[in-house]
Amino acid sequence: MKSKLLSKKTVLILVAVALAVIVAGAFVCGFLGFAKDTSKKDAVSIQVSGYLAQGDLRDPLEEFFLDKLSADGYSVAEVRYGTSYSLTDDILEFVLAGKADRDLTEYASQLQTALEGAGIEGVEAAVITVSANNIEYAAQPAPVWRTAVGAAVVLVVLLAYVAIRFRLGMGVTAFAMALFDVLLTFALIALLRIPAGAAMVGVAVFVLILSALFESALFGRIRMLLRDRERDEAAVSMTAAEEVAAGAALSRNGIFAAAIGLAAVCMVGGIVGLCTGVSLTWIMIAALIGVLVCTFTSVLIAPSMYAAIKTASDARRAEKSKYNYASEKRRAKAATADAAEQAE
Amino acid sequence: MGKKKSAALIVLVTVVLLGLLFICFAPTFQAKTPYDYRSLLGSVELSTDLGGGYSTVYYPEGVISQSEYDLIESLYTAAENNGDTSGLENPADYTRHKGVYLSEDLYEDGALKESFVDSFNAAFRTLQRRFADKGYADYTVATQDDYTIFVQIPYGDETPGDLFNTFAYGGSLYLTSETITSVKGLESWTDADIKGFSVASAGDSGYAVALKFTKEGRERFKEMTASMVEAEQTTLYLYVGTNQVLSVSGISSEQDTSTLYISGSFTERADAQTAASVLDSALDEENAFSLVLQYSQVNTFEPSAGTHTALAITIAIGVLFVAVLVAALVLYKGMGLAHAYAFLTYILAFVLCISLIGGMVVDLAGVLAIVLASAVMTAFNRFAYRNIRDEFYKGKTLTAAIKSGYRRSLALTIDVHVILAAASLIVMLIATGSAHFAAAIFLAGILLSAACTLGVTRFYLYMFMAQPKNKIAFCNFRREEADEDEE
Repeated sequence: MKSKLLSKKTVLILVAVALAVIVAGAFVCGFLGFAKDTSKKDAVSIQVSGYLAQGDLRDPLEEFFLDKLSADGYSVAEVRYGTSYSLTDDILEFVLAGKADRDLTEYASQLQTALEGAGIEGVEAAVITVSANNIEYAAQPAPVWRTAVGAAVVLVVLLAYVAIRFRLGMGVTAFAMALFDVLLTFALIALLRIPAGAAMVGVAVFVLILSALFESALFGRIRMLLRDRERDEAAVSMTAAEEVAAGAALSRNGIFAAAIGLAAVCMVGGIVGLCTGVSLTWIMIAALIGVLVCTFTSVLIAPSMYAAIKTASDARRAEKSKYNYASEKRRAKAATADAAEQAE
Repeated sequence: MGKKKSAALIVLVTVVLLGLLFICFAPTFQAKTPYDYRSLLGSVELSTDLGGGYSTVYYPEGVISQSEYDLIESLYTAAENNGDTSGLENPADYTRHKGVYLSEDLYEDGALKESFVDSFNAAFRTLQRRFADKGYADYTVATQDDYTIFVQIPYGDETPGDLFNTFAYGGSLYLTSETITSVKGLESWTDADIKGFSVASAGDSGYAVALKFTKEGRERFKEMTASMVEAEQTTLYLYVGTNQVLSVSGISSEQDTSTLYISGSFTERADAQTAASVLDSALDEENAFSLVLQYSQVNTFEPSAGTHTALAITIAIGVLFVAVLVAALVLYKGMGLAHAYAFLTYILAFVLCISLIGGMVVDLAGVLAIVLASAVMTAFNRFAYRNIRDEFYKGKTLTAAIKSGYRRSLALTIDVHVILAAASLIVMLIATGSAHFAAAIFLAGILLSAACTLGVTRFYLYMFMAQPKNKIAFCNFRREEADEDEE
């Protein structure tokens, strides 16, 4: 069977490109940080509160303010709705795009005056307050760090389990690929400036687990093939690379099927997000990148990397198991010398 | 399995699955009782991105909102026109700062008092810590207009007003034998005396707050309770500043213990966690603040990922799952039917777990976890079926091929499930926030996947296999020898 693994040169080029992406992503992340989604982005918001009679008056009020803000040159990043838990007040909030350090209090007063003059049917401008607020979000590093620690422990456990249950080389490859997958995915997320909210930490867990799934499926199939070949006395002789390629080919369909299914969910979710809320779209794009990266590594990089490790370890084992004629000659020489001494 | 037994089982399983389908997914409707019928899916706890939540703004004493200022101004103007402004606040005493107004009492020599700014910063850090301790999938503690604190939390079992009120308590921790209105002359308890507060299960009575003493604290508490017994005082009060958080009654003897369990009649874990968080944060002397924080009103906000996102994504995933089941039926016929039943069982069990087990909160990452766990279940059923097909085309009988196919799948199925379960368990135990909940959901999903792949699907396969005459055709297989004979 002809090896279908990528050549060493191609793998090295792919890994080098991926590492360059990771380094670039780390730089972007270090200097600019992740792009924040609108729910956690420092912003100026225009808040309209009071008795808006949700549903009836909210829509004309929203339309009025959107038109006014647009006419005055402000771009609205998001409109949020809320209601008072205890009172009958409702809240309509326009999060403005752009920098958060602008003082728009005067502008809020102008909006209030404009509302009073607009004479929207049913709207009692006197009970409505228009205010401008600047919100600065504080970083919440604890969940990120704790997830990173958890992910590190998972990587070690993955290495140990695969090394013990499968083979050491497989464990090392699974460890390296899982780390590679998470880093590459997040480098791409940083480079593409995909807005990240709290759930993006969960995407890291998703990628890690998906990588563990694909790597364990890949090495599981290779192990099955190797075991079958060990049992089968009539098996045709194969090089390590050919064995790995054959095992990888067995797992490829399953990995592709799972990847296509997950990618379909991500795409459908992304489209749904475009209609309902864009943060869903961003999360689904991030997850889709994760699916593509995990598929790329488990189909192209991991088999080649393991083949290289297996070739080297097989060669070392063959070298060790060679009969040592030199030592036998030395022993024979020593025995002759002993016999000669005794004879003397 | 006999045909009759198989038919009875098919009917029974179908009825149970239909019943569970109704319980899990039926849309809300008006029942004959005063309450609406609500499906289990509807009672799944959602995070702020899919379910919305409560928000409030904490105003330090001397800082007021635009609407409050407007009210003061209108009252004052009206009183001024009447010629009597006594007892009313003068709007001129306030200076505008971004979207809020600051009282002149907060200024000294034209600048904000340093003590106010320091105290506000300490209050902000303390609130951050308290809300972080609550372990929400997502929450927000942000500064609004520099000197107010904006907070968002997901919906939960707690009354939001009580939670926001308790978290506004400022000051150090005091353990006293009588109620207090001032902390003058009292010595606070710090992290030198108490290691921390945590939530403990109190069996049938719900939850308790566990207080762990240091060696020095244990001695101090022993002396304190000894003097309480002497003075015939039987109730111990725990204060943060001058706000009573908990009390322990029935202290009739000297207490020499390293852990004190305080049962505050907490039926919900969240309530006990609130008390523990406030008490724990008060041990940190550096961040003990004297500022009086008041929240204006509690608001509800709509899901940050969009109002109808949760519903839309449920429908989209449901359609995709149905498509996968149809594909399985077309590709594997009878085996696809067994997979469809097993997948349905899996999804229903998953919904039961997510809605009934405490501590499962679904956010966008949780949706990914559900999809991934379902993909694992489907993939390993497919893996087993392909092994059965391979064994069958090697020339084995169908029964032998099924046995052998499952045997061949066993090692990898177990290995992958063990790896994934261990990975999610580790993340669940170590991580907080969204990752913690996503891992918890995935762990439930992967355990169910293992059960369904290794047991339930196989059981359903045998159940359906007993019915058809031509079992080979039922499984969408063809015997080559038979085809040749026919030719």
